[in-house]
Amino acid sequence: MAGMTENQNEDTSKFPALGRALLFLDKKENIERVVRGLYILCALLVVADFFYYKKVYFAVERFPGFYALYGFFMCAALVICAKGMRLFLMRSEEYYAPMDVEAEDYPEDGLDRERVDD
Amino acid sequence: MTEFFPPFVIYILAALVLPLLPNGHFRSAVAVLVPIIGAMLIWNLPEGLHNQIPFMGMELVLLRVDKLAMIFGLIFSLAAFLSILYAWHVRDTIQQVSALLYAGSAIGAVFAGDLITLFFFWEGTAIASVFLIWARRTPGAYATGMRYLIIQIASGVILIAGAALFYRETGEITFDRMTLGSIGTWLIFLSFGIKCAFPLLHNWLQDAYPAATVTGTVVLSAFTTKLAVYALARGFPGTEILIYIGAIMTLFPIFYAVIENDLRRVLAYSLNNQLGFMVVGVGVGTELALNGTAAHAFAHILYKALLFMSVGAVLFRTGTAKGSELGGLYKTMPLTMIFCVIGAASISAFPLFSGFVSKSLILSASAHEGHYIVWGILLFASAGVFHHSGIKIPYFAFFAHDSGKRPREAPWNMLLAMGITAFLCIAIGSYPAPLYALLPYDVDYVPYTTSHVITQLQLLFFSALAFTVLMRTGIYPPELKSVNLDFDWSYRKALPAILRSTVGIISAIWGGIIGTAQALIGAALVRIYSVYGPGGAASRIWGTGTMVLWIAILLGAVLLFNFVELNRG
Repeated sequence: MAGMTENQNEDTSKFPALGRALLFLDKKENIERVVRGLYILCALLVVADFFYYKKVYFAVERFPGFYALYGFFMCAALVICAKGMRLFLMRSEEYYAPMDVEAEDYPEDGLDRERVDD
Repeated sequence: MTEFFPPFVIYILAALVLPLLPNGHFRSAVAVLVPIIGAMLIWNLPEGLHNQIPFMGMELVLLRVDKLAMIFGLIFSLAAFLSILYAWHVRDTIQQVSALLYAGSAIGAVFAGDLITLFFFWEGTAIASVFLIWARRTPGAYATGMRYLIIQIASGVILIAGAALFYRETGEITFDRMTLGSIGTWLIFLSFGIKCAFPLLHNWLQDAYPAATVTGTVVLSAFTTKLAVYALARGFPGTEILIYIGAIMTLFPIFYAVIENDLRRVLAYSLNNQLGFMVVGVGVGTELALNGTAAHAFAHILYKALLFMSVGAVLFRTGTAKGSELGGLYKTMPLTMIFCVIGAASISAFPLFSGFVSKSLILSASAHEGHYIVWGILLFASAGVFHHSGIKIPYFAFFAHDSGKRPREAPWNMLLAMGITAFLCIAIGSYPAPLYALLPYDVDYVPYTTSHVITQLQLLFFSALAFTVLMRTGIYPPELKSVNLDFDWSYRKALPAILRSTVGIISAIWGGIIGTAQALIGAALVRIYSVYGPGGAASRIWGTGTMVLWIAILLGAVLLFNFVELNRG
């Protein structure tokens, strides 16, 4: 899951200030908080459906939480179908030609480069 | 009919002058100025037909200015400005020049009032843009560039063939609303469809965009496909088949986007999906729908460029854009991460971000016309977009498992370009009035209603919930180093294999015929030799005397024959 640092003793003083400020995302308990926040938000959004007049084009939209259910189940179906597609569509990177999908040669110490063609 | 300075000319002039300037900040500054001057020229063009040139008994119209051309001309200028700023650090003259020529051709095409002028710029975009792919200088990029060029040039050839048939049929070359029916109009439609990446004609896009240079992909993402959307909106508004083509276009790329590893290819698939929304808008063809197409093209060019910029910055700093190799970059590239998230929120149509105020025009238009299945598909595609572009891209690049990579933040010019683009995405989403004012028709649409905001948030947050649940249960497919077969398999694998085996069969048959003939002739020669050669049966039996006797008999026969013939006469 999100942000597991392998080396807990890493020197973070060289990170940009903004990056250091966001390091709380590295802690497991904070991830749990984010996920719980998402659950609460989802629940609130469904409840909200009962408290306003929904202006709709189609009758099916009037069903409480229609958009929530549609979003959840269609996305789950999307991922599961796509995963199934891998069974017969996935090939190795070299399938069409060797080096077909590789970036240009790039030295490890080139992280400081300023130009693409350095 | 007055003459105006055509905006594309400034791009061509700049492309000619640029290589003569010292390669450095000065040259970059000149290049960045070009789209600004171009946009000012466009802004000051009055509506109407200008710069008409007689040509072989026809009338070419270099500048046809109306609101539809205007909004595309302006967004192309803005995209050119942002992508050239993003490429400020590039010192490769080929890329600098081709970016200018490419943007200039696209702008020229938008203002073209006839099919011949359109064709000229249509091919211009193809030829100029391929150098942004070849500039990567890898074998893969070279091969991809070749495939891209062949398909793009083919689109132009089909366009001019269609235009010729259309001219013979109607005596007109004006580029205006057409009705599908004759072969000419179908060819023009097909030509637009190739550039617009219609289903089964789409693979050049997913092939080429991830293969271009870091900055080249940003340039590529803006022009070709949106030029095609413009051409469809100009030539075929309200053509019903486009509704279904568009709906399929929104649908199938999202499945590929979920399992694709190369994040720039994921973005190419989602670009294809976004084009689908615009094509549906053209197909519905009402004022609301065409406004939606124009608005969505405008918003889309910005957020798609922003997403390509942020993934490009990652590629630039780490040398890879593969989801399987990335993760945890938010620590050292936090600004790039934030810009990426803004682009992701915009493409996902979160309230206050640009996609929200543009995509909904198209959904409403299709619902309004009672296309409920299409509407359902578009709604599904909207959720799917959030899933792969909104969550997957930022998640696997900047969060997910820590890759251990600690690259520096992107260079200043990239950050500046991303910052301006991100600002525009939020500005359009929060205050859509200026965008709506640019649209081809009057806008009678309020995006921010309670129903729209809450239903959209439900759709998006429950998609996020689905992602979270699938991730936690381990069902979500991991990023794997791989390629996925798409329709390009037919011409990259199947067709060459068929050709190879056909060649094999033909050469086998040929070889068989030749071999048999040789064997027969050889056997005959051997036989003749064995009979008539020295020591052969014939030479053994017939001695020299026998031969002389036979010749004497033969001569006698000829003599006798002639004698008889002569006496008869």
